[in-house]
Amino acid sequence: METGWPREYLRDHTAHILVIALLALYPPVYHTLLNSAVSAETQMLLPTVETMVGVLYFGLFAISFDFISGYTGYLSFGHAVFYGTGAYTVILIANGKLPLLGPGTPFMLSLLVGGLIAVVLAVLVGLVSFRLSGVYFAMITLGFAQVFYVFVRGWDYVATNPRDGPAVGPSHAEGFQIGVPGIDQLSLSIGVLTGDEVALLGSTLSGTEVSYYMIGLVVLACYFAMQRIIHSPFGRVMLAIRENEERAVAIGYNTYLYKLGAFAISGFFAAVAGGLFAGFKRSASPENSFYFLVTGDALLASIIGGFGTLAGSLYGHLFDETVREFLSKAGQGGGLLPYLRALLGQETLDATLVGETTIGGLIDLLLNGHASLYVGIVFVLFVLYVPDGLLGTLRARVGGTFAEALPAKVWGESDQ
Amino acid sequence: MIVEALAEFLTLGELGGVIVNGLAKSALYVMIASGLTLIFGLMGVLNFAHGSLTMVGAYLGGLLMVVTVTGGTAPLTRLGLFFVAIVVVFALLTMLGGAIETTIIRPLYDRPPIYQILLTFGLTLVIEEVVRIVLGVYGLQPLSDWQAALATKPQFLREPVALGPVSVGWMSLFQILLGTITVVGIWAFLTKTRYGLYIRAGSEDAEMASALGIDVRQVFTVVFALGIGLAGAAGTLLMWDPTWGASVPLAAETLLPAFIVVIVGGLGTFRGTVVAALVVGMADAVTTWWFQNVIEFTGLPELVLFLVLVVTLIVRPQGLFGVEEVGGH
Repeated sequence: METGWPREYLRDHTAHILVIALLALYPPVYHTLLNSAVSAETQMLLPTVETMVGVLYFGLFAISFDFISGYTGYLSFGHAVFYGTGAYTVILIANGKLPLLGPGTPFMLSLLVGGLIAVVLAVLVGLVSFRLSGVYFAMITLGFAQVFYVFVRGWDYVATNPRDGPAVGPSHAEGFQIGVPGIDQLSLSIGVLTGDEVALLGSTLSGTEVSYYMIGLVVLACYFAMQRIIHSPFGRVMLAIRENEERAVAIGYNTYLYKLGAFAISGFFAAVAGGLFAGFKRSASPENSFYFLVTGDALLASIIGGFGTLAGSLYGHLFDETVREFLSKAGQGGGLLPYLRALLGQETLDATLVGETTIGGLIDLLLNGHASLYVGIVFVLFVLYVPDGLLGTLRARVGGTFAEALPAKVWGESDQ
Repeated sequence: MIVEALAEFLTLGELGGVIVNGLAKSALYVMIASGLTLIFGLMGVLNFAHGSLTMVGAYLGGLLMVVTVTGGTAPLTRLGLFFVAIVVVFALLTMLGGAIETTIIRPLYDRPPIYQILLTFGLTLVIEEVVRIVLGVYGLQPLSDWQAALATKPQFLREPVALGPVSVGWMSLFQILLGTITVVGIWAFLTKTRYGLYIRAGSEDAEMASALGIDVRQVFTVVFALGIGLAGAAGTLLMWDPTWGASVPLAAETLLPAFIVVIVGGLGTFRGTVVAALVVGMADAVTTWWFQNVIEFTGLPELVLFLVLVVTLIVRPQGLFGVEEVGGH
């Protein structure tokens, strides 16, 4: 079929289009539900658009973590160092602290620069680390990352108070623009306060919603790039390394170079994710960028979503964030606690249970800021009973990747 | 400036102080890491929850001391109570460890080792939040050290003592004593008892050991339980040390050095862990002195731990005393 390739192409990507459509529809749907009869329930159950922005950029970080860890089997436990590099690069450039690059540098270029620095870093770390495997590899990457963490936390060039981390200063008061650099019509600013507002179809998209879509575009591009690499001959070698490295060597592949290449690619996208995070939040701290628990969150996302499934990491993080926001007051989306308070009313809340404990005190104790407890329990249950994760289990059910199975189900068998 | 500093560093008083400090730090490191190395050596399980359980041990030990000690308690009585507390915490956490192993670690033995890392990582999240909730009930600050527990320390442990020209803290000597007891205890247990023989056989070749009639599953449970018990005992000791103290972040603060010590020493060798603890403790003490007295950069001793790790893994990937096959996955 000469003319049919766009149709074939779209057909092959049915699952992707479906997911993208769902994600794209989220802000208006959330907005509509919020102004409807089920307003309170919506606020309780669904993450806010601002949380969803975080899901996107951190999801990208989790995907990049899965790219190296899930596909080559080398657990990159120091992955946060690349995320932090991207985040710090963006902020340092905006504050005019990076040589040659002034505060006026386009955000897209900053992302790229951050990514390239991360590539260099990944190659340097990888040169040493890939001589080891298994637990040793995980530990040495963790070691490198912690060296950078401690270093950044003590280096007062990056911020006046390096322990709290840098923030975007007055030299860059306007929002970071995503789009085609230099062409204002094709760029939009991101950020909760600094984002552009766009009038569209009779309604106005807020800065947060614009950020959601613009960051979503970058994440999407990065995801497709990684997905393309996984399905290329290069990606096949990565899988071969995971399944049986000795055999891959015996066939004649220089696995060391392949691992290094995969690590560099993964570091690049992790830094882009970090850059998006810094661009949106306009500040970063060592604790939420370089620290090893940041890698832990990516690990959580990959396992819940499905290790070695790429897209699964995003769903895993979405799941993680939804649980967190639902079960703790920390998220601005409301969650269970305010809902229960409103539902039960003050009298019930003041009723005493045992001794001096009131019902209100009890639910406060259990639901106020202890989301990690529930996430941890969910995580342990996943490791024990759903070891393949959400997407991995789905794949096992349909016998192949979901993206391949869905078109056949929807459109019938391919005529190729 | 460097030469002058070096001359000062090499005087007997300074150097002796640094060595005693280094030994004290080594003693702490060996206590933190010994449980981890026992568990890893036999079972190949990298226990991410180790730090959290050390933290639980610190709080439990603190609780026992706060409940039993009053303002008028004599220093030696306090010391005695402290030993009782360590034993009680060890026993409690050993039971907890046994329970954890039989309920959630056991189903994972036939899975790839990464799942055990993941599971214990999840466990850390749960343990830390439970501790936070309990602290919340009693109105304690999770992020800062538990001062009431620190206050149960007898006064003389805060004071220095002169050993010839060297002035050292009683606390350092106390820590060295406890570290030595731990090392000798574990060494005797591993080499002089029948159960220790089973453990060593199990780490060498679990299949062969079970073929010879050793109940390896039971050995696994016992070792995991003892490892957790040791974590708790270490926590109780840290509760009295002002640079550590009982707080929730203690979990991460002890977990990373423990990993470093175990990896530097070589996975699965207790001797390696002891030597690595000495190396790391000394490196820590020496750099602490230099960065307090000569170069001002407070984060650097922490940095040095990781540099020791990185350098060791570059020069000798299997660790100082590691054999490549043990835990090699």
